[in-house]
Amino acid sequence: MTIHDGDIIRRSLDHRAAFAELYDRHERVIYRYAARRLGTAHADDIASETFLVAFSRREDYLGGEDARPWLLGIATKLIQQHARREAKAWKGLLADDLARVDIDHFDAVNARLDAKATARKLGKAMARLPTGDRDTILLHTFGDLDYEGIASALSIPIGTVRSRLNRARRKLRAAIEPTNGQTKEEDHGRDLAPAPHAR
Amino acid sequence: MDEISLLRRTRDDIPERAPEEVTRGRAALFQAIDGESPLTTSNRAHRRRGFAWAGFSALGAGALTVALVAGNVLGAGAPGGPGGADAAAADVLEAAAMATLETSDPVLEPGQYLRVETDAVYPAISQDPAASYMEAVHDELYLPADRDDDWVWVRCERVPLDLTTPEAERAAAEYAEADVDMFYLAPGGELYQGNRIDWYDSRALPRDPEQLLALIYEETASQGPSRDGEALVWIANLLRQGSTPADLRAALYRAAIDIPGVTVTEDQATLNGTTGIAIGRVETTTGSRDDIIIDEKTGAFIGERTVSVDEAGNALSDEPWISTSVTTTVVDAAPADFSLCNAHR
Repeated sequence: MTIHDGDIIRRSLDHRAAFAELYDRHERVIYRYAARRLGTAHADDIASETFLVAFSRREDYLGGEDARPWLLGIATKLIQQHARREAKAWKGLLADDLARVDIDHFDAVNARLDAKATARKLGKAMARLPTGDRDTILLHTFGDLDYEGIASALSIPIGTVRSRLNRARRKLRAAIEPTNGQTKEEDHGRDLAPAPHAR
Repeated sequence: MDEISLLRRTRDDIPERAPEEVTRGRAALFQAIDGESPLTTSNRAHRRRGFAWAGFSALGAGALTVALVAGNVLGAGAPGGPGGADAAAADVLEAAAMATLETSDPVLEPGQYLRVETDAVYPAISQDPAASYMEAVHDELYLPADRDDDWVWVRCERVPLDLTTPEAERAAAEYAEADVDMFYLAPGGELYQGNRIDWYDSRALPRDPEQLLALIYEETASQGPSRDGEALVWIANLLRQGSTPADLRAALYRAAIDIPGVTVTEDQATLNGTTGIAIGRVETTTGSRDDIIIDEKTGAFIGERTVSVDEAGNALSDEPWISTSVTTTVVDAAPADFSLCNAHR
């Protein structure tokens, strides 16, 4: 029988070492979430700090069987302290960061160019998102949380999660849309010249 | 591909976290776990000390005090000055300090380690008294000849000692599920982001007893049930690390002379087979007494213990509530894993 996270946290009130089980279960998820937002150089610190904060606040745990929303919420708060670093990372989003994106999504001939342009546009749009909207969409995509989980992680109503997610999606869609205004040329260009703003 | 799918695949190829970082994060958590100073649910509100050093944690300083020893009746005052240790305790502490300074610290050849073995017994307390029990923990720390090299620390699983009720058996089983033997490498003694395995860099602490005590009071301000009790606990915490150099150990003994309420609590106190003299202090607010046990002849630190006492300061049991013994040895190699724990089940 698997003991769920909520039980472990409650047990750790009396048997503190029980909390270590939570680390073993979820440190990877927290690390990956932080690494995808801030880069691996800072993810170790965020991951470790998340569990220290969680341990010190375990008496306040109100979550259910799965502690991931709670832990990801703490990690998100810690990442917010690095907002400038994160914005910089998004602005520097590279085609390689989209390496796992199916290549057939892009026109075969212009695959690299399209990937580069898409990365740049996505990165800029992510950097421009209000913090709350960015947290919401990243808890959904990187943290793999549903609406309820995000609401729990950020301590906001589900309605707010929905509206934030919709708003963020609209902005990102507009930014990466191939037929979107001035980016049309680079998305459909046939030569391999660098895109206008590419570095 | 929509924006959600695109984001889901963005930076998706994060390499696995380095195992040493996983271990380091876990060690930091254990430091917090063991460093926490929770109030127990006991009505008398015994309190576990906040130790920075993980597995060594819940070890307090303590004592069994059936009879307050002769020196005690002299009362506070004499050599320690107003409010300092009583005369007998001051004599013992001064003698220990002198002996310490005459005893050289072991010299390590390159490649050798100073092994600090710590054996502790302490209570695992539950809200349900029937689920409380005593447990033992064995730790070994290996300090390299060059302190900037990797320190090796093995912390063995805790072992329940007296499971007399089904509730205690259940609690111990649950606890065991979350506890594992641990092996750590700490470069330069640093476990995680400035958190030293030895709590304080002993090289940086003053050797002048007055300055040292002033620093101790500053460090422990507002902590613990009393200012003086916490100061003695601080000293015990540092001594327990086993790596304290002789000059600092002597300074710690001398600093204790100026702590009010410190007395000789037992002339022949035995911990883990080694006998020494116990110097301690009753904390009436928590109903406990913390002792450090030292070898007066060599100044060696043998260990520490905490004993439950009644309002008059008399021990409620022959057995200490918490006890820790420390043994240091020079060895030629450090372990590469935690297999030594098999001998401590």
